[in-house]
Amino acid sequence: MHKRHWISRLSANLFIACYVSCLAWGVAAHALKMGLSGNTLSYYVVWDMFCGWQAYDNRTHLIAEGRSGQYYDLRAPWGEFCPFGSTARIHYDVSNRLVPKHIRNVLKHTTHEPIDRVYVVQEIWPKQFNIPDRLWGTYFEEPCERMSYFNLRAICSESGSVLNSYPDWYARQTMQSISDNPRLQLAARRAQPFINTFASPVRDSLAQSPSFESVGGEMLNTN
Amino acid sequence: MTQIHRTATSPIARLQQFFHAEESPYGLALVRIFLPFAAMIPMVQRFFVVRELFSTDGTSQSLFEFYGWDNPLPVMVPQLAAACYGLMIFAMACAIVGWQTRLSFCVGVPLYIYFNLLDTVGTMTKYSVIASHLLVLLALSRSGTVWSVDALLRQRRQGKAVTAVPPRVPVWPVRLMQVLFCFVYFGAAITKIQTEAFFSGEQMRYWMLSNWNYENPVGESMAMWTPLLLVSAYITIVWEMVFGFLVWRPGARLIVLAIGAAFHFMTWLALGLYIFPAICISGYLSFVNEHDVVRLRRVAHRLHLPTRWPGLPFRGIAQLLTRRPASLPLAATWIAAGLLTAVAAAEFEYRLDVYGLRTGKGPLPLRPMEQEAAIAMISDNTPLREKDKYFSFDIGTQLVGGQLADRRREYDYGDVIIAQCNLNPPHEDLWVEVLLQDDQQRTIEQSGLIVTRDQLYANFAYQTGNALLPGRYSMLLRSSGKDISRRTFTLRGDPASLPEMGELLTN
Repeated sequence: MHKRHWISRLSANLFIACYVSCLAWGVAAHALKMGLSGNTLSYYVVWDMFCGWQAYDNRTHLIAEGRSGQYYDLRAPWGEFCPFGSTARIHYDVSNRLVPKHIRNVLKHTTHEPIDRVYVVQEIWPKQFNIPDRLWGTYFEEPCERMSYFNLRAICSESGSVLNSYPDWYARQTMQSISDNPRLQLAARRAQPFINTFASPVRDSLAQSPSFESVGGEMLNTN
Repeated sequence: MTQIHRTATSPIARLQQFFHAEESPYGLALVRIFLPFAAMIPMVQRFFVVRELFSTDGTSQSLFEFYGWDNPLPVMVPQLAAACYGLMIFAMACAIVGWQTRLSFCVGVPLYIYFNLLDTVGTMTKYSVIASHLLVLLALSRSGTVWSVDALLRQRRQGKAVTAVPPRVPVWPVRLMQVLFCFVYFGAAITKIQTEAFFSGEQMRYWMLSNWNYENPVGESMAMWTPLLLVSAYITIVWEMVFGFLVWRPGARLIVLAIGAAFHFMTWLALGLYIFPAICISGYLSFVNEHDVVRLRRVAHRLHLPTRWPGLPFRGIAQLLTRRPASLPLAATWIAAGLLTAVAAAEFEYRLDVYGLRTGKGPLPLRPMEQEAAIAMISDNTPLREKDKYFSFDIGTQLVGGQLADRRREYDYGDVIIAQCNLNPPHEDLWVEVLLQDDQQRTIEQSGLIVTRDQLYANFAYQTGNALLPGRYSMLLRSSGKDISRRTFTLRGDPASLPEMGELLTN
C-alpha cells in the first residue's frame, strides 16, 4: 500500500514538473519569440490572444468560371457554416490554406458545367464602416459611403490547385506606399542579384502543395 | 520538534504541501459540472456539420496543416466521424452529471481535442485550448467523488453513515488548473506588451468594430471612446501581470477573481465573445475550496435557500441507474448507452443530408453570378480613396494618451481646439492639412504637417485667441489636396475678455 502511494506521488510529481515546465516554456518562448515557428504544439502553451489587428475588414470570395463563360458564386449552396456569429467559416481562413479544399468540396457536391478556373478574391473595406447606422451620425458628419475594394489573390483549377497567386491587399498596399520612394527604388535595383541565391529545394517542394501564402505582412490572427 | 518545524517550512515541504495537501474536491466538482457544459455549447452547434468540418467528405483543416505540416491525424469517414462525435457529446454529458466520471473523461477528452485539432479554421481557438487543458486535468483528478451520480450510487451502496464525511483527495489537479490561469494571464500580458497600438487603444477599437465574433453592440459604442480603451488597457495588463501573485493570497483572492470575472464579462460585451468567458469563469471555480463551500452552505441555510434542488437531476439519474438489471455492471451500462448514442448520431447525421444530395433533384446547382459583377470583382484595380485612409476626424480640447478625449462643438475664447485625425494603416507618408473656415467656407487659417507611414494619428492645436468674431466656423481635414472631413463648431463669448493677441499666431 505504501509502495503504491509512493509510486502515485512520484507520478504526480513528474506530471506536475512536466506540465509546469511546458507552461513556462510557452510563456518564455512567446516572450523571447523563439522556438515557435512551425511548432504546432506551441499553440497549446502560447497565450497570444488578439495579438494582431487590422484597420480593414476582409472577406474571401470564390468565383468559378464555367467553360461557357458563365460565372458562379462558389459559396456552399447548402448553406455556409458560421462558427462564431454571422461570418462564414471560409472568411476565418487567414492563411488561405482551406481554399483549395473548399473549392473541391463545393464542386464535388454540386451540379455544374465543367469549370475552367476559380478566382479567389479578397474583399476589403475600412472598419469604420462597420459602425452601425444608429451610431454613425454621432461620430461622423459625412454620409456613410462604404466602398469595397476587391483584390485577386489567386487563380485555382477545378481541383483547387493554385495556378497563380498574387500579393494580398495589405502587402500590395504597403508596397505601393513605399515604392514611390526613388531612393528605395534605386537601392532595390542595385541590390538585385543576377542569379537568385535564395533558391531552396525544400521550399520549392513545399510550393507544390496546393496552397498559397500571404506575401509579406502579418495576416489577421483571430485566435 | 525544531527539526519537524524546519522541515515543514522548507521550500520543498511547502511545495509538497501546496500540491499534495488533501481537500474535499468541491471546486473540482464545480469545474466538472460547468466547464464541459460551456465547452460543449459550440461542439453541439457543430454536430450538424460534422460531415463538412471533420470527415473525409468535407473540408477539415487541421492545426498541423495550418503550421505547414502534413496532418498526422486520421480523418474519419462521415459515419464514423458522426458516431465518434455523438460519443464525445454523450461522454461529456456523463462527465457533467458525474456518471462513470473517469471513464467519461477518458473517452470524451481525447475526442474533444481530436475534433478541435481537426478544424483550425472554425473550431479550434484559444478557448478550446484552455478547455482542453482543464479537461485533461479533470480526467486526471477525482472530480466525481462529490456532487455526482457516482457519489450518490456509492452512498446507496455503502450507506449514508459510511459516506457522511466527504472524501479528501490530493489537490494537485486543482492547483495545476489555478497555475494554468496564472500562466494564461501572464502570457496574455506579454502579448499585449508586444502588440503595437494596444496602449493607445487603436487595437481594441478595431477589434470592437470587427464582425468576427458574436454581436457586440456595447463594444461598437465603446470603440469610439479611445481614452476609455486606453485606461482599460492599463488596468487589464496590470491585473494580468499580478494575477498569479495575488490570487494565492487569502485577502486578495476574491478581489482578483472578481476583477477577472468582470474582465471576461467585458470581453463578452465589448468583443462579442461568448464561449471564452464561459470557459474561463468555469475554470475560476477551481479556486473554490472546501471552506468556501462551508461558508456558502451557511449563507444558504440562513437565507432558507433550497440547496437540494441543484442535486435533483443527479438523484434522478442515480435512481434510474439503480433500476438496471443487477447483473449489468455500471461500466457496461455506460458503454452500451455510449454505443447506442454513437449509432444514433451516425444515423441522424446521415438523415441530415448536409449537402442536399438526397432531395430528389440530385446535388444542388451552383449559384450563377452576373457577369459584370464577377468581372468587376476579379479585375478591380480601384485605388484606395483618400478618405478611406482616415478612420475618423474630430475636434475637442482634451488629449489622453495622445488621443482625443472629448468631442466638442462649442468653444469659448481662450480654448485650445485640438483637431485629430486617426489613420487606417497601411498608408503612405501623407501631407495632411487642417483648415479653419468661416460659415461661408472661406479659409481663415491653415496648418499642415507630414504624417509618416508609421503614424496612426495626427493632432493639430489651434489657439482660439481673440482674432475671430463669435459665430459658426468649421475645421476641414484635407489630405493630398482632397477634402476629407469637416467638423463645424460655434465660437461664443466676448473676444474682449482676452488680452489683445500679437500679430503672430502659433498654429
